[in-house]
Amino acid sequence: MEDKLLVYRLKAGSEDALKRIYEKYENYLFTIAVNLLHDNAAAEDIIQDVFMKFLKAIDNFKLRKNLKSYLATCTANKARDLLRKQKNQNSNENLHEKDMASNSKNPIQLIMQTEMLKKLAHALRNLPYEQREAVILRQQADMKFKAIAVLQNVSIKTAQSRYRYGLDKLRSLLNSEVQK
Amino acid sequence: MKPAENIKNLIKNLQYKTTRETHNRILNNLQKTLAESQKTKPATQTNIWRIIMKSKITKLAAAAVIIVAVGLTLFLLDLSTTPAYAIEQTIKAHHSVRYLHIKDFKAGENEPKQFWVEFDNDGQVKNIRLDFPKWAGGGDGAKVVVWKENKAQIWFKKKKSFVTVWDKTVAAQFLKMIEELDPKRAVERLYEREKQGKVKIEIDEPSDKTEPIVVTATYLPESSTPGKQGVLFVNQATKLVTAIEFYQLKDGEYKYSGRMEFYDYNKPIDARMFVLDSEIPPDAMRVDQTTQDVGLLQEQLGDKEIAIEVVRQFFQALIAKDYAKAGRLFGGIPASKIQEIFAEFDVVRIISISEPIPYPIPGVGGFKVPCKIEIERDGVKSVEPYGLAVRPVYGQPERWNIHGGI
Repeated sequence: MEDKLLVYRLKAGSEDALKRIYEKYENYLFTIAVNLLHDNAAAEDIIQDVFMKFLKAIDNFKLRKNLKSYLATCTANKARDLLRKQKNQNSNENLHEKDMASNSKNPIQLIMQTEMLKKLAHALRNLPYEQREAVILRQQADMKFKAIAVLQNVSIKTAQSRYRYGLDKLRSLLNSEVQK
Repeated sequence: MKPAENIKNLIKNLQYKTTRETHNRILNNLQKTLAESQKTKPATQTNIWRIIMKSKITKLAAAAVIIVAVGLTLFLLDLSTTPAYAIEQTIKAHHSVRYLHIKDFKAGENEPKQFWVEFDNDGQVKNIRLDFPKWAGGGDGAKVVVWKENKAQIWFKKKKSFVTVWDKTVAAQFLKMIEELDPKRAVERLYEREKQGKVKIEIDEPSDKTEPIVVTATYLPESSTPGKQGVLFVNQATKLVTAIEFYQLKDGEYKYSGRMEFYDYNKPIDARMFVLDSEIPPDAMRVDQTTQDVGLLQEQLGDKEIAIEVVRQFFQALIAKDYAKAGRLFGGIPASKIQEIFAEFDVVRIISISEPIPYPIPGVGGFKVPCKIEIERDGVKSVEPYGLAVRPVYGQPERWNIHGGI
């Protein structure tokens, strides 16, 4: 409901609506982009591109599903485009680990979880891109397998398999990390 | 670290935030772009008025047949949950509709269907214009319909045919639509539905009075149309609806199915919009069923008997080279067109006319009348089988005629 109203207001030129939409989804999209690319600078460029494209097309924009998944799909597509152009991805040295958010409340848990998240981020980097994309879009973007399959241009079963293999591999990578 | 059975939750926690600098930079860029786009935009219409309705016009079938079905869905408001915005305000604003221009968008299509309606002082429909883009024209392609005084004129652009027929169907359906639009009745229906627990209404009224009120009407499982949802945008100043978006529940989600936008409420529509003649190219075929006796009166004959009689008289007219009569029996098309169609051969005699069979295409109605005709082409005689399509004249059920191709 709120998104429909915001889109409607944005169509009417409301700067406030633009700000609210941007602030509502900025970090959500940034998280998806970073986890897909492991490159903060590229992720920043992507979210700017996504919002800019959305804004420029707003007059003819029709909110068919929900804005959140629309923007997430745009972000994933942009990430794919970028990867096609840059086969060799930069390392994630510039990851803003200090910006990692956590829901933990206990300071000790926070430290432990932050450490685990770092390992998880590292493990994600080692996943094949298609699997990483399926995992991130499913778990972080809450996208349905059907939508992921469309985005990846594969069958739903393949998308599900990629997701499952991705999770298995993450578990395996994290477990082996622990055993070292 | 334990085995990562909770890995899904862990992934959800793998979140990042933009830096303050990045946030400000991107937002500034977006705001600049928005400001620039507003400079180049035409001024928005200030006098946009709305009504609450949904209509769906089905295809106008070929050969001067109009089938108009108006399906209405009203999405109304719940007074008990609206301390500030009251539905009566919208109703009052809707009470004096004189002119209306509606754009009806369908998901996946860019060009909308468009309707212009003019009402007289008594609230009755006076003029209607319907513009169907190609996607909405069924097998006819793009077409335009203008209705007034129980006559409908249809301009089939692809076929270059301009047909005038008697019609009370379109009028009746639009009148029904207007009744549905009557705010008083609409309120009654709302109250009924609300009491019956069939509709759930949610209202979002922004504090900024320049922004529209957004009303979501969700039809509950107890309603006759469960799974439907309409989102109305209501102008806070005029209390009129500016647009309605339609959604249908599918796979657990409300999926967008279309949008109607309402324009020019009470802004007089140029009278020329309701006159098609000037838009028709000179080489178009013109058929006017309202100024001639098309087909034959059925009188005491049964349906099959009249179908046979129409076919018999049609071929007799061709044998006699009475193309005007043949044209009248054939949907009222001009004699010159009949002559053109039968220029290549002469009809010599009727060999046989068989028992009519129901027309094989569903929805067309009437009969297919098999027959054998002797013709002469370049001095050579032959017997040819034909199957003529015969049914009541559109808008004149007491008369029967040939329609479609031979």
